[in-house]
Amino acid sequence: MSSRTRSAAAGFDVTTAVSDIRPANDGIAMDTDTSRLDGVPKIDGSAKYGRDVLPDNVAFARFIRCPLGNAELLSADADAARAVPGVVLVRMDRDSANYHGRVVGLMAADSPRALDRGMRALNMQWKPLDAVRGIQDMDFDDPSEQDNQALARADVVLEAVYTTPVQTHCCFETHGSVVDASAADGTVEAWVSTQGVQGAADGIARALEIDRSKVLVHADYVGGGFGSKIGGGGKEGATAARLSRDLGRPVWLFCDRAEEHLDTGNRPSSRTFVRVGATNEGRITGGFIRTAGDVGISRGGGGVSIPSGRYDLGSIDGDHRDVKCAGGGPRPFRAPGKPQGAFAEEMMIDELATQLDMDPLQLRLGLERSDERRRMFQRGAAAIGWDKRGDTKTAGDGGVVRTGYGMGSTNWPAFPSQSEAEVIINPDGSVVARQGAQDIGTGHRTAMGICCASTLGIPLRYVTSETGKSNQPYGPASGGSVTLTNTAPAMEAAAAKALERMTTALAEREGGEPGDYGVTEGQVLRDGAPIMSWEEACGLMPRAIRGEGRHSPRRGGGRGGSGHSDGVQFARATVDTETGVVSVDHVVAIQACGRIVCRKTTESQIIGGVIQGVSYALFEQRILDGQTGAMVNPNMEWYRILGSKDMPRIECFLWDHGATTVKPIGEPPTIPTAGAVACAVYNAIGSPVRSLPLAPHHVLAAVAAGRNGGGA
Amino acid sequence: MNPFQIIRPETYEDAAAVMSRGDFSLPVLKAGGMDIVDHLKEGLMEPDALVDVKRVRRGGGDAIVREDDRILIDAGATLAEIAASPLVTASAPGLAMAAGDAATPHVRSVASAAGNLLQRPRCWYYRQSQYDCLKKGGDRCYAVDGENQYHAILGGQSCHIVHPSNLAVAMSVLDGRVHVIGGDRDSIALGDLFQMPSRGVRREHVLESGEVITHVSVAAGPNSSYLAVKHKQSFDWPLVSAAASVQMDGGRIAAATVCCGAVAPVPWRVPNVDAALVGVDPEDSAAMTAASELAVADARPLTQNGYKVQLLPVAVRRAVRMAAGLPAIAEDRR
Repeated sequence: MSSRTRSAAAGFDVTTAVSDIRPANDGIAMDTDTSRLDGVPKIDGSAKYGRDVLPDNVAFARFIRCPLGNAELLSADADAARAVPGVVLVRMDRDSANYHGRVVGLMAADSPRALDRGMRALNMQWKPLDAVRGIQDMDFDDPSEQDNQALARADVVLEAVYTTPVQTHCCFETHGSVVDASAADGTVEAWVSTQGVQGAADGIARALEIDRSKVLVHADYVGGGFGSKIGGGGKEGATAARLSRDLGRPVWLFCDRAEEHLDTGNRPSSRTFVRVGATNEGRITGGFIRTAGDVGISRGGGGVSIPSGRYDLGSIDGDHRDVKCAGGGPRPFRAPGKPQGAFAEEMMIDELATQLDMDPLQLRLGLERSDERRRMFQRGAAAIGWDKRGDTKTAGDGGVVRTGYGMGSTNWPAFPSQSEAEVIINPDGSVVARQGAQDIGTGHRTAMGICCASTLGIPLRYVTSETGKSNQPYGPASGGSVTLTNTAPAMEAAAAKALERMTTALAEREGGEPGDYGVTEGQVLRDGAPIMSWEEACGLMPRAIRGEGRHSPRRGGGRGGSGHSDGVQFARATVDTETGVVSVDHVVAIQACGRIVCRKTTESQIIGGVIQGVSYALFEQRILDGQTGAMVNPNMEWYRILGSKDMPRIECFLWDHGATTVKPIGEPPTIPTAGAVACAVYNAIGSPVRSLPLAPHHVLAAVAAGRNGGGA
Repeated sequence: MNPFQIIRPETYEDAAAVMSRGDFSLPVLKAGGMDIVDHLKEGLMEPDALVDVKRVRRGGGDAIVREDDRILIDAGATLAEIAASPLVTASAPGLAMAAGDAATPHVRSVASAAGNLLQRPRCWYYRQSQYDCLKKGGDRCYAVDGENQYHAILGGQSCHIVHPSNLAVAMSVLDGRVHVIGGDRDSIALGDLFQMPSRGVRREHVLESGEVITHVSVAAGPNSSYLAVKHKQSFDWPLVSAAASVQMDGGRIAAATVCCGAVAPVPWRVPNVDAALVGVDPEDSAAMTAASELAVADARPLTQNGYKVQLLPVAVRRAVRMAAGLPAIAEDRR
């Protein structure tokens, strides 16, 4: 393994160790350190996001929402709102609502300021009602009466309840759309902050009941998604589209920061009861695992992924309940159900290890079902310095500031999706790579450019990479970590087809067979010897050459499919036992990445997953008011998200081992982080913190309970 | 937000005149604008004029100067200027720590000394318009039966806000004063600047509407400190904080002044702690702990903030140690 260190601009160190860097297809080096193609426009402001788009004569729209967790609307002065200069529409749809942020009406105006005044004039009066509380205080039915053979075979039994809070979606660019359905010819143009530009076009066409071919959606730049922007443009897109048609002018409808917290989906909370046994040899015999999740007013979606299937937990008798409460409902959130399950599962294993007097690493090596992850565990343990880890049992005797170590694992399947791509080689040598998925910050635009350039054998500077429009070749919604795994084969096929047409034309003109010709580093070769530059060869073409590619995998990852991605993470954390403040010092993230198209953006995906996981572990929490059911922290002040001083050193290991396919890495790196951090805190203080976030009051309670011989 | 005029006076005297002349129904002074903009956005304040003193300075000289045994700081000096000032760092280190610990580099480069002192509390019921709480003229404090994990454990009466200013806590132990024009007094001791909710729940300070802070001042001295316990280390408010200044005599504390932040509606002085620290060797952890525990002798936590009762003595003990020139924590890491 080679290793290198660089200092990232963000001020934290990233060490990358890469196994076996080697050219992938036919000697084409794919493993590049390319900076993202759209990095500079994003920094200098020239990149235009959906919410930056302000067509002439645009109307600004905003949902009217319930400000309490459950309430009856006594009055709303719609006439007064309509009378405000600049207000063009006031519509009330409901006179009650059962969660904070629920839409009860719609308002539109010529300017945001007029909209503000209209909202003020509406002067809604609400009568608060009792809000439905969720799983916060629920008890599980006691399974003790039931006969359980797995527990009977066990030498030790752990019983614990683990809880995680609701993590809200709060994308940097809030949810919303700008739609212009006013054109006389019936065409509709929309700028949508979406994870699925193709689905957004479908959704807007459906909302307007028009042909999809009439709709053009742009998502050139998208300020974050994480699962909540998959649904076809969402209600913001559909509402803006209908309103634009009704008003005969473009409509801008974006959530503000509070709306973003309240009503754009979330990772549901979880409550996991475990009563699980193990033998002195370190085998888990099984037992009961019961889970529940808050789903707000939704019908479902609160699942908790435990057992994960990564460890042999014996015979588990499990069930799950989705519990309604006064709150916005779940939406897919970067590995739905997985981080909450992994938190409970990894903590359960560490607590059993303490009871068994075993090193949790050794216990996991025995429970682990994957040889690959077992090797990763050994590599990660060396990288984090596991040999410096103290015994959890004696941690309570340590000083004021204590250090602990924890670990966790992850995996993710490859989901197949059809993809198409197009490559155009112009006579001047410039190339267009076109692929109609979207870059939600993941580096898709960059990856497509690299796939195209490397297949053609030319430097990336020749390639203009276009993505994020619904009239481009079909690409999947970016959810489930499917984008690059399915679009890379399509783009490479398109580039290969274009290259084949070019070498055929060259052979017709210069003689020989098409197979005699090749391109490397911008030089055209014949029988392996350079004969002309890329530009010269392109200049010989009478017109632009087009290549098209399609990827149609079978379920389970067919030809060119992506394969399963495994990973492990280790965390070192420091706990001030007098204040309960936790600092995560170091995270080692090992992730199977398969073939690496762009190393830098791959690392960024993993680092981002770890950052989001640390933030989830330490800070994030939707707090609903016990009296009104309203969220008291729908902002970036009290809804804490990790900042630069809270950043650990993150060390990525891109685990390769000769894979020839691209593996899914969007979601898996965020799964194990919170569990690993919680295990590190447990190891540091000697008693478990079984509730996220690992906030001072939770940690202090655990420290106190440890002195009294229990957990918190 | 409602339309308003922006007035840019050249001097504090002009600002005071605008504020008291009666041309506007609700003129509001603005320096960095950090807190004002939050209020405007949430509709908590509807001024018809913002009197912008951001670029006003007392004289042509430095924003921070020493006069005899006091350090004078322009009202408009930014937190970043205070934190970086060699004068403050050397002669009022606790104040430099308090300024440097606030918010983010971006905020510190904009937020002013006077604005930091006079910012409104961060209580989430106060800050959101749908709660008609006492501070907004309503009839109840929602924190009592609500989400009160960040509210007051000391001095809570009708309203359970905690005072938000870092600088006020640090200045309280440095004989801090605010210097004003536009009224019938020249200066106000920091201990008299803020009022408890029982004296007026709608506002937190006692300045009259025409009074404008021109500068603040603190006593110069080498032994002071400020320490905040924060959940997040970037851009977060203290869960509790403490400032201390001490005079040492042969390894023992001869005199101490301690003030606590984020635990009460005003910067919370603890004279019982001050008295108990006299004669204590700051390396004597038992004596230090005993004295620090007195800070919460009168604590009456709400339903969710009992942890602050545990945190505050820790912050006090560490702040006193730092003021005495010792590391905040006595023990080494495991």
